[in-house]
Amino acid sequence: MKRKILNLGISLVGPIALIVMLTMPIGPLSGGLGIIAPTGGVFDVGYPESALQTINLPGLDANVEVRFDEWGIPHIYADAVTDAYMALGYLHAKERLFQMVMQNYLAAGRICEIVGSYAVSSDRYYRAIGLARGAEETYQWYLANRDTNDDVAYVLDIIDAEVAGVNAFIDSMTSSTTPIEFKILGFTPQYWRPVDVFIWTKMMSWSLVAGADDLYREYARATIANNTMYDDLFPDLMPYNVPIMPEQHNLSLTEYPNSAGGFPADPAPPPTASRASPSEDLIPTDKLKTLLSIIDDVILPIELREAMGSNSWAVSSSLSETGSPILANDPHLPLQAPSLWYEAHLVAPGTDVMGVSFPGIPGFVLGHGDHIAWGMTAAAYDVMDFFVEQVNPDNESQYWYNGAWREFEVVDETIHTKDVGDIIFDVKWSVHGPCIDSVMGTYNLDSTETPNIAMNWTGLDITHEILALLLLNKAKNLEDYYDALYWWDSPPHNFIYADDEGHIAITAAGRYPLRTGYIGDIPIQALNDSVGMVSNIPYAYIPRSVDPAQGYLQSANQRSYDPETYGWDVIGPYATGYRGRRINYLLNTSSSISMDDMKKWQADSVDVSAQEIVPYVIDAWNAAGDGNATVQLAVDWLSDWDFSMETDIQAPTTWRFLVDALKYEIFDELRVTLDANLRTPSTPVLERVIKENEANYLDDHSTGEVETRDEILAQALFRALDEMVLKLGSNMTDWYYGNFHVTYFDHLASLTVIGGDPHRGWNTLNRAVSYWDNDAGQWRVVAGPSWRMVIDMGDIEHAYGVYTGGQSGNMFSQHWDDIYDIWYAYDEETEQYGYHLMRFYPTLTSLAIADLSEHFVERMITFVP
Amino acid sequence: MRKLDDIFPHFNFPTLVLVLTVIAIALQLSGAWVTMLIAGALGALLTRRHRSAFFAGFIGVAIAWTAIFVYLSLTAQAFVIAEFFIGLLGLTGLGWLVIVISILLGALLGGFSGLLGRSVIELVDELIPAEASSKAVPVQDEQPDSESEE
Repeated sequence: MKRKILNLGISLVGPIALIVMLTMPIGPLSGGLGIIAPTGGVFDVGYPESALQTINLPGLDANVEVRFDEWGIPHIYADAVTDAYMALGYLHAKERLFQMVMQNYLAAGRICEIVGSYAVSSDRYYRAIGLARGAEETYQWYLANRDTNDDVAYVLDIIDAEVAGVNAFIDSMTSSTTPIEFKILGFTPQYWRPVDVFIWTKMMSWSLVAGADDLYREYARATIANNTMYDDLFPDLMPYNVPIMPEQHNLSLTEYPNSAGGFPADPAPPPTASRASPSEDLIPTDKLKTLLSIIDDVILPIELREAMGSNSWAVSSSLSETGSPILANDPHLPLQAPSLWYEAHLVAPGTDVMGVSFPGIPGFVLGHGDHIAWGMTAAAYDVMDFFVEQVNPDNESQYWYNGAWREFEVVDETIHTKDVGDIIFDVKWSVHGPCIDSVMGTYNLDSTETPNIAMNWTGLDITHEILALLLLNKAKNLEDYYDALYWWDSPPHNFIYADDEGHIAITAAGRYPLRTGYIGDIPIQALNDSVGMVSNIPYAYIPRSVDPAQGYLQSANQRSYDPETYGWDVIGPYATGYRGRRINYLLNTSSSISMDDMKKWQADSVDVSAQEIVPYVIDAWNAAGDGNATVQLAVDWLSDWDFSMETDIQAPTTWRFLVDALKYEIFDELRVTLDANLRTPSTPVLERVIKENEANYLDDHSTGEVETRDEILAQALFRALDEMVLKLGSNMTDWYYGNFHVTYFDHLASLTVIGGDPHRGWNTLNRAVSYWDNDAGQWRVVAGPSWRMVIDMGDIEHAYGVYTGGQSGNMFSQHWDDIYDIWYAYDEETEQYGYHLMRFYPTLTSLAIADLSEHFVERMITFVP
Repeated sequence: MRKLDDIFPHFNFPTLVLVLTVIAIALQLSGAWVTMLIAGALGALLTRRHRSAFFAGFIGVAIAWTAIFVYLSLTAQAFVIAEFFIGLLGLTGLGWLVIVISILLGALLGGFSGLLGRSVIELVDELIPAEASSKAVPVQDEQPDSESEE
């Protein structure tokens, strides 16, 4: 008997050891090694889709038919808009559930629940800025206004349908449809909620048009301590800027008396406030520096300012070859895997819309209907202020406002982690907003370090971007466009527009706060309500242009208006303006513009900054160079260059190093005498200093001698070459741009990558936001044209679009990266990238008839109640 | 009450492996690797030796999982997925190793559960009084461990 028991004991060791091995987390494999079993784990996700499916979708009123084209793009035909969106919600989840969950958990400061406590700095940051709280308040506004506003009811019905579709998929998930990432991470997704829709829209606003620029400005101004130099080197209005609005078009103040979103408006510009001086006492520089480093270090999915950019333009019938307006748009966003976008075509009574949507969010952000088309670029107005609250020295839970001590509201933002339990975290809120320095964890320290930097950002208020988009999605004409954009009260974006009646328009839509008592460029103290965002510019008067005499409109994130002609002054930061200058030049010097021209321009890789600056460098070398053979070779490359950032030449590589070297040599004031951590001035400032021969900045103050422009520019060439040898190696003939500039679109959980291919462009119309990766010895392109779209309003059935990636979030699907392949394919002959036809059939029957000859339908789903 | 070994037949080794392969395939189609423990334990009922129980479970599950992987490689990109998985460790070209490890783990599950099953059966049979066992199943080709050990 004893032996039997001993046998049993010994026999238990093996199974127990195996069970532990197969279930315990191993590094990122939180799901344990058991997921490599042949079924029930990672190997279930490789099956192809069935060509014909019937899926039960509880809550539908009637059947919904879906046809997927050759790119996996669904064409959804429904008898009710809500049915159509329920189907779209299901498809969003089916293809992108992991992405939806990751993105929303990140925005809500809950990413530790998925990946563990190592991401706690990210969660603290997003909890501190309060996106989830703002989203909840916005959702509550919708609920409160559902019964009294038909448009709000329409939107909420659609949101509910989208959410129901997502959750129907979650309920139906099997091992083969569960995203592999969940299996690896050992995470079970929770139900999608209506508020999640608002969380991600807040996040997109935050990522695209928010930033801690006031803090950066404060740091730069306090460090430089010289207002003249600061204004020279960091101007709000970039030199040589071509504004977006050629002529302002106001709407009727009677028709639209309020600001966007129904906020109060003041039709008279307030008196311009004097600029506040930076004060060391307000925010200690060390604290500011720490705060900025925290903001820089945190997980930034959108890369914030670095990736900021987008192009859009439209030509009127008179300039168009086809006799109808043509519209082009390419928003520059992080190029991630899977893409931010999910493309679809949705047909239901009152709506026939095609374009790109965010997974989990109802509505089409960019695209076209049956009569209109629209696109977007970020407008980059500064609608975020920082107020330094005066903390009660005797009670740090209070601050001074309107003549009395008030209690900070302390919000419990306990962070739940996957691995170490809960992490206690509180965020203080003042009347101005959340104290973002709560992220520094300085509670219980002395009063000077108590969180007191309150962020006042219009995007945290109740916003109506979903309402605006869903109304725009069913707009038929210019009036509908005006009415829809009235609700876009988020931080401003430029909405370009064209229709089949021959109109083109652009509106820098958004809520523009009017400030009294301050400018809004740096943090200030506001001890009462006479200082702050007291009103807004009326919607009727926001920057807008309609059917301009020049026959075209363009925007590329530059300042939208000429300060001399527009009544209000709203600070940036704005883009450098080089893309705006380039597209303005192309449009201004062209006629009979065709769809091919538009596609060609979206691929245009001419760097205007190089075009403007390089000739000065070449002249300087010829005048002041010492004949060094290595530098001469590089100068020869630059001399033969047409300024297009192509992959098969060395000049673009040289230019990228040269521009850094020029800034290093010329702005020695910041480098040598002040602070090595200061940002370098923008390239248009460099251009101005060189062109205007601004001797004070050109001189190298560290030498004791006075250098000429030519000497400094020649010196920069040497510096650039030294850096190139250091980073690229000494074999100059290998310095082709394509060897060092590659696409690299990282998976959201860094499990894989799309790309790895040589890539054209940089700060060009064909934008390529790239950073130098020391380990790889390459610039990795991580952001750029996330979606390219060209639409002829006279032939809307033949619009073209393309984005980076594929429809499926399943990396083993044929549609994981198939659209990337056409996005990436550049045709030297046509000078265009690839596009796919945005198939646009108004009925299921017309689609079926077209398919008889073209055979593009890949599979079908019938959703049944 | 009859002893378990008196109730269940004793299969020769090839037959046992074949039976276990079929059982393992059927159970694994449920998607739960833990069912391999059941497969191995069932196999233990059909033999009388620990060694047979282990190797039958080991080989039976190995064959079953290999067969499933062959099917998956033909229909569901098993090798592509395996290559991705090994890529998470920074390795390339070794996707087959993931499948080999998977099969090995499955085989060990089958083998160890066979071993455990056999031990449980023998302990249970030990607890059942001998007189209760009226019809011993004759064993001709090999001696069960329990008898040889005693």
